[in-house]
Amino acid sequence: MLRIENHPILGEIQKGRLVRFTFDGKELTGYEGEPIAAALKAAGVMVHRYTTKRHEPRGVFCAIGRCTDCVMCVNGKINVRTCVTPLEEGMDVRTQYGVSRQKPE
Amino acid sequence: MKRYDMIIVGAGPAGLSAAVEAAKHGMCVAVFDENAKPGGQLFKQIHKFFGSKEHQAKVRGFRIGEALLKQANELGVEVLLNAVVTGIYADKEVIVRHNDTVRHVKGDTILVATGASENMIAFPGWTLPGVMGAGAAQTMINLHGVLPGKRVLMVGSGNVGLVVSYQLMQCGCELVGIVDVAKKIGGYGVHAAKIARCGVPFYMGHTIVRAEGTDHVTGVVIGEVDEAYQCISGTEKQLDVDTVCIAVGLSPMSQLLDMAGCQMQTVSAKGGTVPVCNADGETSVEGLYVAGDVSGIEEASSAMIEGRIAAISAARKLGYLGEAPASEEISKLQASLEALRQGMFAPGNRGKIIEQTEEGIRISNSLLTKGYLEEQEIERFPGFHTQKGIHPVIECTQNIPCNPCQDVCPRHCIMVGDNITALPVVDENSACSGCGLCVASCSGQAIFLVNDSYDQTHASVTIPYEFLPLPAVGTIGVALDRSGNPVCEAEVLSVKANPAFDKTNLLTMKVPKEMSQKARFFAVKSSEQKG
Repeated sequence: MLRIENHPILGEIQKGRLVRFTFDGKELTGYEGEPIAAALKAAGVMVHRYTTKRHEPRGVFCAIGRCTDCVMCVNGKINVRTCVTPLEEGMDVRTQYGVSRQKPE
Repeated sequence: MKRYDMIIVGAGPAGLSAAVEAAKHGMCVAVFDENAKPGGQLFKQIHKFFGSKEHQAKVRGFRIGEALLKQANELGVEVLLNAVVTGIYADKEVIVRHNDTVRHVKGDTILVATGASENMIAFPGWTLPGVMGAGAAQTMINLHGVLPGKRVLMVGSGNVGLVVSYQLMQCGCELVGIVDVAKKIGGYGVHAAKIARCGVPFYMGHTIVRAEGTDHVTGVVIGEVDEAYQCISGTEKQLDVDTVCIAVGLSPMSQLLDMAGCQMQTVSAKGGTVPVCNADGETSVEGLYVAGDVSGIEEASSAMIEGRIAAISAARKLGYLGEAPASEEISKLQASLEALRQGMFAPGNRGKIIEQTEEGIRISNSLLTKGYLEEQEIERFPGFHTQKGIHPVIECTQNIPCNPCQDVCPRHCIMVGDNITALPVVDENSACSGCGLCVASCSGQAIFLVNDSYDQTHASVTIPYEFLPLPAVGTIGVALDRSGNPVCEAEVLSVKANPAFDKTNLLTMKVPKEMSQKARFFAVKSSEQKG
């Protein structure tokens, strides 16, 4: 389990409502308002996208919206910085391939 | 175009402090921050700060952030979030992008308090998911409550690397080790010591050779380096980790200032390219100020003071504050800032090898290379002494500006003096009551209470304990020494929590008498501490 239930200093972590969303079509749950990247990390998802030329995997790197390594296709829109974009109910989150939502043949 | 007395870019410790100060003097202020929440990095800082009372020492960073936000709200400071300042132009015209709109605003003065970004190092595999900034890991655990992984290697032994390592352990990650090409630990010895006594090894003079894995990190190879920082063949060592955190320094985010036409300079002691500025933080562009890490990498404590100085200087410039009261306020704040810039880790000492304390005591080499003091070394420091009955043993061996231990002792057993970088001295005949306030107040967790005469054959040792679950009274476990090695059986006598301790629990354990100067940590089972 990657979620911290009880923290020695912060106590219980305050979270929003538990909501459903999909990752590459698979249903997952996360807390409303937390970054999409946090919900994915808690669900064990490591790869957010593959690079254009060498098809290398990328994931969360800076977690503060600076490096753009964690961008994904969210609700049909590409290049969404998942580490600073709040999770909403029913979001369609997909692995990004290069700058496309389509997996190359 | 809307006009403000002061436009502040960045709602972190420097920007918010400036906003509060400016608003107090009646200035009309706007604060812009690109993030969804204000506070900058303060809300990730869950450790207790150093310094003295005026610097809010022994208060945890996020609590300082909460207090600052409350003050800003009470003064009606307007903070616009998700607002990216994209440029500062002639006559202090500022362009802000907010959601899908772009605004032009004008400031009679501007404060840029954009902070810093993390430095990175490249190595084979560094782009794999699972390799991340130490700040990223800290954000995940302390803001979002999600672990970045389970087994972590930290690269970098400066204060960020040490503090984040400890915080990762506090929320349940296993820390496999700390790697640094430097031969000596860069951060505070006390931060290193609280990690070392949990059994975490320091690989000094080592580099990360590669991160392994196809889709994400499944392991890492480290190796010893030669004088040119190249890995010595044959010294490679494979470690089983799923996460690698990089903490190799910060760089000021000063691009906006460069663009605004400020005279810039690159100063390694300040961490990179910073604007040239005067003592008030005013750059070569009149009325354009800087405060915090953007003007040179330091601590949040100094950033808050710099922000206030800049705001007062701007208030004087715009006529909200007279010359005399402004100068008086500024010199008071500058003295406070100066106090934080003293000691071995002062900005001016960066890169220097310091062999002795201010008191002329030889620094522990073991502390600098392995992260802990050897038992026989403790005795040469003034925080150590033996006496009948309960008394503090202070393992504070580097000159760091910090003095809460002196302030909290109700019986005045601990002396730091007016020079707050001095090592604490424990009174020869201390009338210690065993209240433990010093143990909980020490931001470096370097104070222990020892009672050599608990009974005929046993001593009691009280340690600061910030982990979960708290062991129950009566639990039999093992005492670990400063290096994290189990040394003897230990029974938990008490676990005290108190609002005044602010989540630093005091765990008192019973150990054989001869172990009173060895036992410095408690583990339920030794196998749980050593990985």
